[in-house]
Amino acid sequence: MMHLTEEEMIGQAYGEGESAAAVERHLEDCRECAEAFADLQRDLADMNRVIAPGRDAHYGERVWAAITDSLPVYVKEKRRWWSRGLYRGLMYATTCGLLVGCAFFAGQWWEKHKQPQPPTAKQAPAPQQSKQQPIVVVVLDDHLDRSERFLVELKHADLDSSAMASPMRDEARSLLAANRVCKKNAAKSDDPELTTALDHLDSLLADAANEPGGLNAQSIARLQDEMNRDGVLFEVRVLRSRVTHREGSGGIPAKGGTI
Amino acid sequence: MDKNDHAAIQAVLAGDKEAYGALVVRHSHLLFRVAYRITGNEADADDVVQEAFLRGYRKLEGFESRANFGTWIYRIAVHCALDKVKHRRGDETSRVGDSNDPELDQLQVADQAAGPDRILLSGEIGSMQEAALHSLTVTERTAFVLRHMEDRTTAEIGAALGIEPNAAKQAVFRAVQKLRRRLAPLRVAT
Repeated sequence: MMHLTEEEMIGQAYGEGESAAAVERHLEDCRECAEAFADLQRDLADMNRVIAPGRDAHYGERVWAAITDSLPVYVKEKRRWWSRGLYRGLMYATTCGLLVGCAFFAGQWWEKHKQPQPPTAKQAPAPQQSKQQPIVVVVLDDHLDRSERFLVELKHADLDSSAMASPMRDEARSLLAANRVCKKNAAKSDDPELTTALDHLDSLLADAANEPGGLNAQSIARLQDEMNRDGVLFEVRVLRSRVTHREGSGGIPAKGGTI
Repeated sequence: MDKNDHAAIQAVLAGDKEAYGALVVRHSHLLFRVAYRITGNEADADDVVQEAFLRGYRKLEGFESRANFGTWIYRIAVHCALDKVKHRRGDETSRVGDSNDPELDQLQVADQAAGPDRILLSGEIGSMQEAALHSLTVTERTAFVLRHMEDRTTAEIGAALGIEPNAAKQAVFRAVQKLRRRLAPLRVAT
């Protein structure tokens, strides 16, 4: 028969045994354990002799008198919960408003400094135009130079060889686009000589660029006839010499256009 | 919770310091009793009572109104008593019960008085038990005092000591076992 351990008996004595009923039954059946349990209960009862000395009825008052000077007075905040909530809400709203305002003004400042100022009516156009003109002259001069070389090439093209036909057509297309820009600006400059020459050049370049089936001996011969009839090469050379002269003399240059 | 206690706490927190006096008067005796049983010394117990009420006053803002002030200040007093005993033990150079040698234990018991018969006759058995009680560790003694003399449950003891209830239960068991062994010569004599 298994006897109870001391821990089981202590648990039973304090009413904290895990299986109180089983321990109770065992104590009824086992004399040895019952005697041990009785000894334990007697020992525990003897331990009650440790009694705290009594304190008189004024003990509490004496304790209070001893500590009262050490205690600070509580200062209660008299804000109500809703006023705290309102205060917090106002703080959040103010902060959000400030952030939005800062973001707005920062955006305005950024846009102002990022984009260039549009020209106003008070600004004189002449200085601005004079700034652009050197670029335009160079473009027109370059265009006339390229056109002259193209016309010379066309004039001396070998009618029996088709090797140059494709590069000439590509060059004609490139020149045609540039020529139209120059024509557009020439129309504004009230320069009939330049306008007429560019018109003739435009017609010739359009034919060369858009020849159905590409350039061949027949089309090249026709273009040569057209060039000689209108004197396009001569006109281009005259214009070129005039533009070069104006550029060199510092006079008002002819406008070509911007590409 | 006692309505009087609750009203007094509200008054204190509203700025009426004197209202705390009523709480001190009402709970001082209970705190002294447990403080004495843990410290085993009247002067220390008085110090513990004052310290507990001072700590309680400082922490009063954190006190939950649903809790019982008596239980709450009781726990604080237990903590103060433990601190007191630990501090006192740190200063002591020799203690009863540091040795596990049974012969030495008997010698120490014999040092308290001439013999068991004389102890019984002189009515000093209580002081012998007190000495045995103070040979326990602080946790064991406190757990035993709270369980055996203050009729606190193991859950309450665990909460007061900051340990699990099962650990508190084991501390009580160890305390009883040690006390019985230490007081066995007295029992044989009687």
